[in-house]
Amino acid sequence: MWGSFFRMGFRVLMRQKNYFLLNLAGLTIGIVAFVFIYLYVENALYYDRSWKNYPHIYRVNETYSTGGKEEKMALTPYLLADTLKNNFPEILQSTRLFFTDPSDKNDVSSVNYRGKMYDIPNLTIGDARVFKVFNYRFTEGNPDSCLLNPNSMVISTTMKQKIFGNKPALGKKLKTSIRAYTVSGVFDNKNRPSHLEFDAIISFSSLDKKEQKQLNTNWFWMNCYTYVELADTVNVREFIQRANYFAHMAIGKFVKKQKIKINGYMHLAFQPIQDIHFSQGLLYDSHSNINMTYLYIFVIVALFILLMASINYINFATARSLKRVREIGVRKVMGVFRKQLMLQYISESLIITFTAFILSLSLVELLMPVFNSLVNRQITLVDSLFTGSGLVFGMILIIFMLLLALFSGSFPAFVLSSLQPVEVLGGRGLIFRGRKKHSFTAAGLRKFLVVIQYLVAIGVIISTLVIFAQIHYVKNRPLGFDKKDVVVINSPADTSFRGRASAFVAALKSDTAIEQVATASSLPGYLTEKILVRTSDSSAGHLQTLDGFFVGYHYFNLLKIPLAKGEYFSSAKKNDSVEHFIINEAAVRFLRLEHPLGSYLHTPYTKKGIIIGVVKNFNFSSLHQQIEPLIFMLKPQFVQYVVVRINPYERKEALAHIRNVWKKYNKGYTMYYTFLDQKLDTLYRSDQKMLSLFFYFSLFVIFISALGLFGLSSFLIEQRSKEISIRKVLGGSEKQIVLMLVKEYVVLVLVAGLLILPVVYFFIGKWLQSFAYHINMSLCYFVGGIVLVLLVAFVTVLLKALFMVRKRPVEALKYE
Amino acid sequence: MIETKQLKKVFKSADIETVALAGIDLKVEEADFVSVMGPSGCGKTTLLNLLGMIDVASSGSYRFMGKEVYNLNEKQITRLRKENIGFVFQNFNLIEELSIWENIELPLIYQGIKKSERKRRVREVIDRLEITHRKDLLPVQLSGGQQQRVAVARAIVTRPRLLLADEPTGNLDSMHGEEVMNILDELNKEGMTIVMVTHSHHDASYSRRIVHLFDGQIINENLNRV
Ligand SMILES: Nc1ncnc2c1ncn2[C@@H]1O[C@H](COP(=O)(O)OP(=O)(O)OP(=O)(O)O)[C@@H](O)[C@H]1O
Ligand SMILES: [Mg+2]
Repeated sequence: MWGSFFRMGFRVLMRQKNYFLLNLAGLTIGIVAFVFIYLYVENALYYDRSWKNYPHIYRVNETYSTGGKEEKMALTPYLLADTLKNNFPEILQSTRLFFTDPSDKNDVSSVNYRGKMYDIPNLTIGDARVFKVFNYRFTEGNPDSCLLNPNSMVISTTMKQKIFGNKPALGKKLKTSIRAYTVSGVFDNKNRPSHLEFDAIISFSSLDKKEQKQLNTNWFWMNCYTYVELADTVNVREFIQRANYFAHMAIGKFVKKQKIKINGYMHLAFQPIQDIHFSQGLLYDSHSNINMTYLYIFVIVALFILLMASINYINFATARSLKRVREIGVRKVMGVFRKQLMLQYISESLIITFTAFILSLSLVELLMPVFNSLVNRQITLVDSLFTGSGLVFGMILIIFMLLLALFSGSFPAFVLSSLQPVEVLGGRGLIFRGRKKHSFTAAGLRKFLVVIQYLVAIGVIISTLVIFAQIHYVKNRPLGFDKKDVVVINSPADTSFRGRASAFVAALKSDTAIEQVATASSLPGYLTEKILVRTSDSSAGHLQTLDGFFVGYHYFNLLKIPLAKGEYFSSAKKNDSVEHFIINEAAVRFLRLEHPLGSYLHTPYTKKGIIIGVVKNFNFSSLHQQIEPLIFMLKPQFVQYVVVRINPYERKEALAHIRNVWKKYNKGYTMYYTFLDQKLDTLYRSDQKMLSLFFYFSLFVIFISALGLFGLSSFLIEQRSKEISIRKVLGGSEKQIVLMLVKEYVVLVLVAGLLILPVVYFFIGKWLQSFAYHINMSLCYFVGGIVLVLLVAFVTVLLKALFMVRKRPVEALKYE
Repeated sequence: MIETKQLKKVFKSADIETVALAGIDLKVEEADFVSVMGPSGCGKTTLLNLLGMIDVASSGSYRFMGKEVYNLNEKQITRLRKENIGFVFQNFNLIEELSIWENIELPLIYQGIKKSERKRRVREVIDRLEITHRKDLLPVQLSGGQQQRVAVARAIVTRPRLLLADEPTGNLDSMHGEEVMNILDELNKEGMTIVMVTHSHHDASYSRRIVHLFDGQIINENLNRV
């Protein structure tokens, strides 16, 4: 019996191709969007939950304050892990990974294998116990011992594939410019969503002995992520208290030994590892972290998209089947045929939903690479949808489709049975028409559904506009220095470079395409040093923390950082008995210096220094943050970066020249360089990502709501074809009639716009607050969003309305 | 006022061609009152549609008030119709969403007539057709006869120079039918040109002229009351 229904269904759908395609497209797009968002959210929630003992693994974060300024960061001193583990038996395991910034790499990040250079995107240093806590599957080597020996390197399967292909990697040598590493293991990081993103790890024992010793004694040198695995019987709260007390004592001892005074505190926080992906506001935290609020927004948008698609679908199906009922004659429908007709509708619905299901899954699979690169994930459909919790989701999706088919198939029949036959025969619009006693609620419902669609569409579009404007703003706001045409070259890690640095700089200057060259340990947008200083008259002699840059001569001229007072560093005035400092205006205020020029500052580890200049405030970190107090120390020998201002009209020549000089002075080293403005743009990576996600949301939502409106309005206008003809005969002009048809929808869009306004204002306002410098939410974004949706709605309805109005009146009048 | 020459209308569907009108030569003078009679399916409604410019002939010419209609564009036709022609459809064609009052008022709105004037005119016709107390109802809430009177009211409210009426008494009992015919008669006397389709010889007796249609052709024209 079903067979014949389906055969018939196919025939009907083939005859009504437009209806079929419209419905299919809407439903498919809806499911595609929904599945993508599901995959993203599921993946995010699964972050760091694949470690064998993940409920008991914690990352140790640190809050510290010196001189009244509190900072929270994900980094801790190297010695913390061992110190804790040696004193607390409830710590089963501890390990640490060094902080690295993948967007700021030098020659050591590329390895040479058989004469070919390979870039390692994310290379870090770890202690020997990394793989005891993080139980990656090893395809080669032993996870327990692979990081014990000096000069060992463990690489990911992806890296291994890139360098060695299918040949074994174990024991092979990979050379960097300073030493050769032996591959001691290969780990598989597939299907392991984690905040850990390293592609290779070097053993801690590879560091030179002096450095190791310093790391093992200094409490102020915070450069490691520390992870601890606690026994499951531990009372965590109580443990944290004891650990903090212990650390407090240890630091106190260390400070005393250093003979320094600090007015501050340090607090350790133990963050469950599965929470890291959603943590915000910690310095040096993983770049892939996401804001939980975004996740909620995504889920809401996904549900709305699916809801919209379903509503449209049901609306469509009902509208169409009612039309058909009128053709068949309602008495038959009410009587014997009702059940069969219902089955017929359901089988047609099943065909559409099933096709949409298959089509959308194929589309998802097809678009997966695009999606993955967009959200920076490695999600696979098969793994996510048909295993574990995904299986449940897959089942739910299938059940949902079945229900949708069932409901949209039987809905018209329900509507019919609630009506008197004569009303149906009267040929009136039933549920979709206004101003009739029994259809009042249905007309309201229809308007409500349209408003909801526009609500979402307008909300998403306004958000996209504001995000776009803000990102445009942060990228173009004057920062207080000139970021354009500046090339930043990462110096070779090899200390021997210091010897030839000045020759390298001189050689760079020799081309006319190069305007200026300077050296520095840091730049705007890069990591800064934290420097402890104390003013001469700070009575108790307490230290305060400032951000610090070590720079060479010409630095300020090159970046065009203007002076507020005093002068820049110059070699002529250099005095060996005292350091020269320059501070920014924020530091003047922070240190409460009334006459900064000529004041002395003391630091625990260098000679005292004299302030010779004050520079105007400039933004040296992201615009999410205010301008912090900053100190520049003159250290021409610190050449972590060679900064080059090039002639903008000779970019090519300049870069070629830089490459040539690099080759001459740093043979065999890979040159990593970047343009300063591009590096600054990376500060807004997550904002940019949010923008692109919202952009795609907008497309989806606009598409689906336009489709829905087109279907609905087509139906409604077609139903009114007779009325349109009568109006024409009575003298209505095309313009008058089209305006009448369109007006109704325009009003709905405006209502939707007004309703969503406060919601968007609240949420997007919150997002904007995350920037210390942000645009004002002016009315024009709201108007822009509403106008855009209005335009889409207008065009959709207009298309159909024009088509109907152009028809000869007699065609519609004839029928009945 | 009206002059058609060899007006033809052929309906083509998938495989059959129906010749609804096979060359109509008809002349209607200003202030004339013409009845069109003939058996069902002979093309009466089709002819009225052509005269009312809501359909186009397959061939032939149609002059309305001295202008060749088929040389005009859509906009000009709309204007011509709006300003000069009133229509009573065989199946009423009232707008279901609009109340009786609004239905009757609509053509006045499209003519751009001011509200107070509209009110006055609508009141006048609904009084004349005795539907005043139903003015706020929707068409579905009326009987067929009442709907027919609304259709007549709507057609004459603009005081058109030409009234095209497709069986305006078809659904009315003899008393109400008589009333409508009296109104048409009065209007005609006031100078309105009327072309009316009817099956009733009694109604036709009000007109000055009767045109007999058969199979899309005029078989006989006779003057009624000279
Ligand atoms: N839109 C159309 N498509 C096809 N044929 C049509 C169409 N309209 C009318 N006809 C045909 O043209 C012929 C004349 O129809 P018309 O409606 O003018 O008849 P009528 O004289 O008004 O009949 P009645 O007295 O029943 O109203 C009929 O044979 C009819 O079937
Ligand atoms: Mg007829």
